[in-house]
Amino acid sequence: MSSRETDAKAGGLGRRRFLKTAGAAGLTLALAPLRSAYGQTESADALNIALVGLGAQGRVLMDAMLKIPGVRFVAICDIWPYARTYGQRYLKKNGFEVRAYESHREMLEKEKDLHAVVVASPDFWHAPITNDCLRAGHHVYCEKMMSNTIEGARSMVHTMRETGKLLQIGHQRRSNPRYLVARNRLLNEAHLLGRITAANAQWNRAVSADLGWPNHTAMPAELLAKYGYSDMHQFRNLRWFKKYGGGPLSDLGAHQIDILNWFFDVSPSTVIASGGKDYYPTHEWLDNAMVIYEYKLPEGMARAFYQVQTTTSAGGGYYEQFMGTEGTLRMSENPKYTQINREAAAPPWDQWISRHLLAAAKAPAKGDDDSSANDKVDARETAELAAYYLPVVLNKAIHQPHLENFFNAVRGKGTLNCPADEAFKSEMAVFKAIEAVETRSLVTCHPSDFIA
Amino acid sequence: MSENTPNSTDSGSTLALLVLRAWLGMRAVLTGVEKFSDSRTLQVPLLDAAGKPDSSGAMVEVTQKFYSLHSYHAIPDSMKDKFANEPLLPVFLTTPYYAVLGWALIALGIAVLLGIWTRASLFLMGLLYVSLTFGLILIKQDGGVSWLAIHVGLVALALTLTKYNRFALTRS
Repeated sequence: MSSRETDAKAGGLGRRRFLKTAGAAGLTLALAPLRSAYGQTESADALNIALVGLGAQGRVLMDAMLKIPGVRFVAICDIWPYARTYGQRYLKKNGFEVRAYESHREMLEKEKDLHAVVVASPDFWHAPITNDCLRAGHHVYCEKMMSNTIEGARSMVHTMRETGKLLQIGHQRRSNPRYLVARNRLLNEAHLLGRITAANAQWNRAVSADLGWPNHTAMPAELLAKYGYSDMHQFRNLRWFKKYGGGPLSDLGAHQIDILNWFFDVSPSTVIASGGKDYYPTHEWLDNAMVIYEYKLPEGMARAFYQVQTTTSAGGGYYEQFMGTEGTLRMSENPKYTQINREAAAPPWDQWISRHLLAAAKAPAKGDDDSSANDKVDARETAELAAYYLPVVLNKAIHQPHLENFFNAVRGKGTLNCPADEAFKSEMAVFKAIEAVETRSLVTCHPSDFIA
Repeated sequence: MSENTPNSTDSGSTLALLVLRAWLGMRAVLTGVEKFSDSRTLQVPLLDAAGKPDSSGAMVEVTQKFYSLHSYHAIPDSMKDKFANEPLLPVFLTTPYYAVLGWALIALGIAVLLGIWTRASLFLMGLLYVSLTFGLILIKQDGGVSWLAIHVGLVALALTLTKYNRFALTRS
């Protein structure tokens, strides 16, 4: 069953089911007009939400959800008392009295009026928590990576299909209107770039120290061990350790490798890569990696270079860039890194400007000393490219549209933008890159590899 | 027919002055009006090929030009900054100059277009362009100086033709 069928089967949260659930949970009173922290009267469309994981990413999602009408926090879950206290107090300030749990299983046993669960736990807990939530009858929004193992990710897709519940994976760019317009309108409708022959993407970050914790908040060893952690340092820096997550290629690369696959609309056919633990002595995962994918597109081969560096911020931030015979599109969640260039010999783009799909970039002011800015130093240089920008704006937190898409699907209004089976394809491409780094060999991918 | 007779009937010269008045007047009026212009950025729904809102719900930023009294700016800020550093352009002179520049261009442009005290209006317009040239010489904007020199030349030419002035609201 495809994710679309799953969406249809799940049918979101129909009115009949909602009323039944609400009645069972004694929500009659709750249906009386309530006012959220943002002053919106909650309607019959209100959804009872639990948030599992109140680390950095969980807090980002919490902030985004607080801005969405009709989202009612009822429970939070985190093994760290310090995080639970933070979450309870923060939500109380925003008008929600929530119950807090250490264990998601206890939460699922006691919370009978949930409509959906948002999972932002460490990667190695994604599959167990998501699978339990789906089987408990709840729709789930789970952060990427789906899991730190292929088996874990695959199990999530299978559980989604078995239960017929919705499972959205947090590749939030897929709901970002800037990315949607770039992909659907500029590439697929306008064919702005001509034939795309190459892509490159990167996320480079400066050296950073390991995360610490206030002494009085340290968890006892027994509690850490109960949930699979070796010690407090690994708990706080779990992204760098293999038993908890996938390292930078997974944490940072997954978002951007997903964009390569989504924009190309195909999975890679081969991967070669190099990476290593070059700098941080206390980490297990590689800190720098360079990956080259080959994509067999209908019009011919395209190669994509991806790099993640955690020891330098060089190279202009984080972006995904697609290069074609007629132009180049550089996308980033940060609009300041987004740019579009037209090749000198390409047809004019005036019609796309008039439709507001593009806007011409302002020419840099010419001073007295830059009269030779366009001069070539080598006769083989291509003429300077005309620059454009994407005029689409996102007036929300970057995760908000993806969460809204999930909640709308739960309400039966539309389908998921990144259901688990679709996300699995991209996450397999990440696993393939990690495999290429570890085996130091060309990894060949088969279409069946990307089907869960 | 005497060439020195006021309001001569030399039709070629009359038409030449008329064209000059039209060009100089329009040039001055629109230059003055533009000093009251500004642009604002609006967010509007992106439309698909059928003219309906894009399925992504995307909003696009569109720049829209508008005019208002509050938008008045005599000259660009970058140029104003350069003038502020010129000892020969003291603030007590530039401040009132900036305040009247736009209005003066509009008033003189209308006067020249309609032929209201044509000779005096052209003369004042010429002086205005000379004053602008003064500032541009100081900040070494030679291109602007040359551009204004053309204006001054056209004003001077128009002044030499005022005896052929017709289609004017006033005779002088």
